Amino acid sequence: MTGELIAGLAAVLNWQVLGFLAAGVTLGAVFGALPGLTATMGVAVLTPLTFWVSPEQGLAMLLGIYCGAIPAGGIPAILINVPGTPASIATSWDGYALTRKGRAGLALGVNALASAAGQLTSIAFLAFFAFPIASFALRFGPAEYFGLALLGISLMAGVSGDRVLQGMLAGSLGLALALVGLDPMTAYPRYTFGFSEFLDGISFVPVMIGLFGLGEVLSQVADRRSRSSAPKIEIGRVVPSAADARGMAGASLSGAGVGTLVGAIPAAGGDIGSVIAWEQARRASADKARFGKGSLRGLAASCSACNAAIGGAMTTMLTLGIPGDAVSAILIGALLIHGIQPGPLLFANNQSFVFSIVFLLVFACVMITAIGLLGAKPLARVLSIPPPLLWAGIVLFGTVGSYALNNAVADVWAMYVAGLAGFLFRKARIPLGPLVLGLILGPMMESNLRRALILSRGDWLDLMARPIVAVFLTAAVLSVAWPWIRSRRGSARRNHAPLSDA
Amino acid sequence: MAREDVVAGGAFLLAGLGLVFSGTRFPAGVGGLPGAGFFPQAIGTMMAVLAAALTLRGLRSAPTTAAAGTDLRAVAVVGALLCGYLALWGSGFFLVRTAVFLVLVLRFLGQRWLPSLAYAAALVAFVHLAFEAGLNVSLE
Repeated sequence: MTGELIAGLAAVLNWQVLGFLAAGVTLGAVFGALPGLTATMGVAVLTPLTFWVSPEQGLAMLLGIYCGAIPAGGIPAILINVPGTPASIATSWDGYALTRKGRAGLALGVNALASAAGQLTSIAFLAFFAFPIASFALRFGPAEYFGLALLGISLMAGVSGDRVLQGMLAGSLGLALALVGLDPMTAYPRYTFGFSEFLDGISFVPVMIGLFGLGEVLSQVADRRSRSSAPKIEIGRVVPSAADARGMAGASLSGAGVGTLVGAIPAAGGDIGSVIAWEQARRASADKARFGKGSLRGLAASCSACNAAIGGAMTTMLTLGIPGDAVSAILIGALLIHGIQPGPLLFANNQSFVFSIVFLLVFACVMITAIGLLGAKPLARVLSIPPPLLWAGIVLFGTVGSYALNNAVADVWAMYVAGLAGFLFRKARIPLGPLVLGLILGPMMESNLRRALILSRGDWLDLMARPIVAVFLTAAVLSVAWPWIRSRRGSARRNHAPLSDA
Repeated sequence: MAREDVVAGGAFLLAGLGLVFSGTRFPAGVGGLPGAGFFPQAIGTMMAVLAAALTLRGLRSAPTTAAAGTDLRAVAVVGALLCGYLALWGSGFFLVRTAVFLVLVLRFLGQRWLPSLAYAAALVAFVHLAFEAGLNVSLE
């Protein structure tokens, strides 16, 4: 084992492999930081370039893009409230609030450090617990996926802040939008209105760019005259204080755990993991009201979780040969082209290559963390650009980025409509997070529930009696009921309080 | 009356009822298994119930003050420019078309001619380089 470990390290410790890794991390940072470009797109576009180099060099570049894009996706989420990748949606909730408070530097610093914590924790899991985690993920059938999706949807109330009813409505609208396209079981067209562009459903990324990017731009355009003066641009410190770091440590670690586990489940990635981790951190916090308004713990939990999903997805990919997310699906293809078959036999026959991957992930994490910390202040200078220039840039990148996904103008129209919806929702003070949650989880919930019911021959009780499903359903019921129970207990306590306390 | 809640609740109520009604036109399923119409009806029912609750709460609430200073005309103009730009998508001349669009937006938002022209040219060149040359996406 030690010999394989040293061989794995030696294979990556040469200037060519490290050069490819550095190039990949830098390109990944660009893909992640530009709204409309995603880690999946970066890995897909650059995979052909790796066919002419060794497996280590090619994989170094692709893993660099993966590890660079996810933390970099948090940069626009923090600075301009536009998530760079779907995984960084929850990052914008507290990150942008911190920027508005003049703490953009600290938010970027926390993004870099918590992302590193998430990545390193999940890499450690990959190194030490690959098989148990992958075996657990393998026990997931349609019923368990339905339970997981239902648990995610039940978090809608939690991520709605003090606008629970409005948040639940936004979430149900997201679920409704997810119905567009062919029925997942019977291929019956629903809400396509005769347009073939809608048969595949509504693309998620353009909707996300519209809701968060264009919607924010329109909102700022509408309010620009009511502002007495331009907001003071403050970047502040980048590295958190020791007290802040201590306060965030628990949230980072729990986020890393959630992200790793969710990432290990096929088809569930950092976008779901970060929302669950954020809500978990909010529940565990004594200062729940601060979440969504600039909480460092909320930011740390979401950043850590979306990055930890990388290690989780890689664990499932390497041990079982099953892609944990879209990026790892492309990585499997790249490995196969190099003659490497991911799966249990890889651990038996080519251990040194597995260790090489682990070391590549660690080095990529170190590189992107350094870029994140050293580049935080220069990056935050984007806030000193006159707002109209920034708005024009966001609109153009959003438009071209949405089009580039499928070379489809319909995606750009979807982005514009979502932008208008985002503007109206902001004006009506309806939270946007639940809508995204519904849109992501809707198809997963519907298709898996119906598959599970076919397997159980329509028996709902049989479906819910499965242990993992029962745990998810109980957690989902509690997550909806607990805030209500707590508020009832609070009001009952106030009613029975001595008069002198009044 | 909280006007924003009543308006939002009313809109969601209509959408929910629309989902329930449209869901009845999809196959209902066979042998106790839900069909294509099950989820639209379930989601529509949930939406309608929540929307009714929001509307009722809005009607009972104290009046809220409308946000002052919202420039809806500016939103309409930017929206119209965006729609015009997209309507011309595929007609060629990406560089010129996009630069003109950006300059119009920037001028409307109060930027001076020279910075608007310079910024639009730089941005269009960068986007063209990144997407056309780098990612092989045809923007024409």
